Amino acid sequence: MPIITAQDISCQRGNFLLFKPVSFSLDFGQSLLISGPNGIGKTTVLESIAGLRGLQQGRLSFKDQDLSKFKDDWFENSLYIGHKTGNKKELSCLENLRSFLQIQGIEVSETQAEDALESVGLAGYEYQMAGSLSAGQKKRLALARLLLVKFSVWILDEPFVNLDVSGCDWLLGILDNHIKNKGILIITAHDNKTIKEKVTSELILESVGL
Amino acid sequence: MKPFLALVKRDLTLGLRRKSQIYQPLVFQLLVVTMFPLALGSGAKTLALIAPAVIWILALLASLLTLDQIFKNDYDDGSVESYVLTSYPLPMSVMAKVLAHWLLSGLPLVLFSPIIGVLLHLPASSYGILMLSLLIGTPMFSFMGSIGSALTMSLKHGGLLLTILVMPLLTPVLIFGASAVVESSLGNSASQPLLLLSGLLILSITLIPFAAAAAIKINLE
Repeated sequence: MPIITAQDISCQRGNFLLFKPVSFSLDFGQSLLISGPNGIGKTTVLESIAGLRGLQQGRLSFKDQDLSKFKDDWFENSLYIGHKTGNKKELSCLENLRSFLQIQGIEVSETQAEDALESVGLAGYEYQMAGSLSAGQKKRLALARLLLVKFSVWILDEPFVNLDVSGCDWLLGILDNHIKNKGILIITAHDNKTIKEKVTSELILESVGL
Repeated sequence: MKPFLALVKRDLTLGLRRKSQIYQPLVFQLLVVTMFPLALGSGAKTLALIAPAVIWILALLASLLTLDQIFKNDYDDGSVESYVLTSYPLPMSVMAKVLAHWLLSGLPLVLFSPIIGVLLHLPASSYGILMLSLLIGTPMFSFMGSIGSALTMSLKHGGLLLTILVMPLLTPVLIFGASAVVESSLGNSASQPLLLLSGLLILSITLIPFAAAAAIKINLE
């Protein structure tokens, strides 16, 4: 029995279905790339899977539990990083990283957070305000959360955007590691040649048509 | 650290660094209150007569300045996800946001109110009741504001809409709060309006976090 199953799910904007209903299932160690043209609803479907919004139709379940009713277990096992990084510009990198996770009930020591910042390439920026970082650095700061949570499901919306070459390589390595360690990955990515080779399945969203 | 405390601590740190949330309402109050003697042009007696109403209306208007920020900033930068995508109950997080907002912009209004009172020649015997009524009343500004802010957080300029939504809901607070000060300035007991005000506060604490949590979810759809 797969851990995550989606049956005929679709999302709507206004009164229109965004894409033809899709189904997929994922087990530990599997990964899914969601692709499709701009505006088809990749972000919307990821937000629905993450639990930020409801589904227009279909059923999504985690460990055989319907996600529209039982979300706690899902929230305790999944991490979503979207387009908005969730960083506060008046907080330092260290404070951002720790407070974001503490609000979710995850305690992170200062040394753990410092180590995570170091591995995302933000060593020396620990006490710098997040508002003064570049777009790529802000993304790195958000991605540092991946290193500090022990969640099995990662849901990432365009994580490669704004990252430089070394950042992309680093992220690919992390994702690889996660899948090897029996993690689950659901991802969207525009420049998807490299990531396409890494994932175990791909889901292409198609428009409903008129 | 509990998620509740972590959220309060984060918001307090942010508020103390931004500072505008704290001083804006106070400066606004001070500016407006100095206009009253100039416009009325009459003596201390008239001022003392209108003082309770003016102080309460000013407190209401001053807190409206910062209400939209309760959830708007978190929505804009995405950190709202940190307390929506978690098993920790959303109404508790709303409570934490409201508490932090009140500590940053409600409590200073309470502590500042005697100065406004002096400028309006409020009778000395009423200061205690004034501060007490504001202490019970201002948290409700933050509570009601949390619903308004949650409903308007995705709008670019939701300030006016928030005011239209929240102001009618706050009229009972204004009525009982101001009448408590009026009664005490006339030398009567203010316990009745204060008790009604306290009742409203209890109602707010128990019901509003759920309403605001629902509003946040609607807005994320």
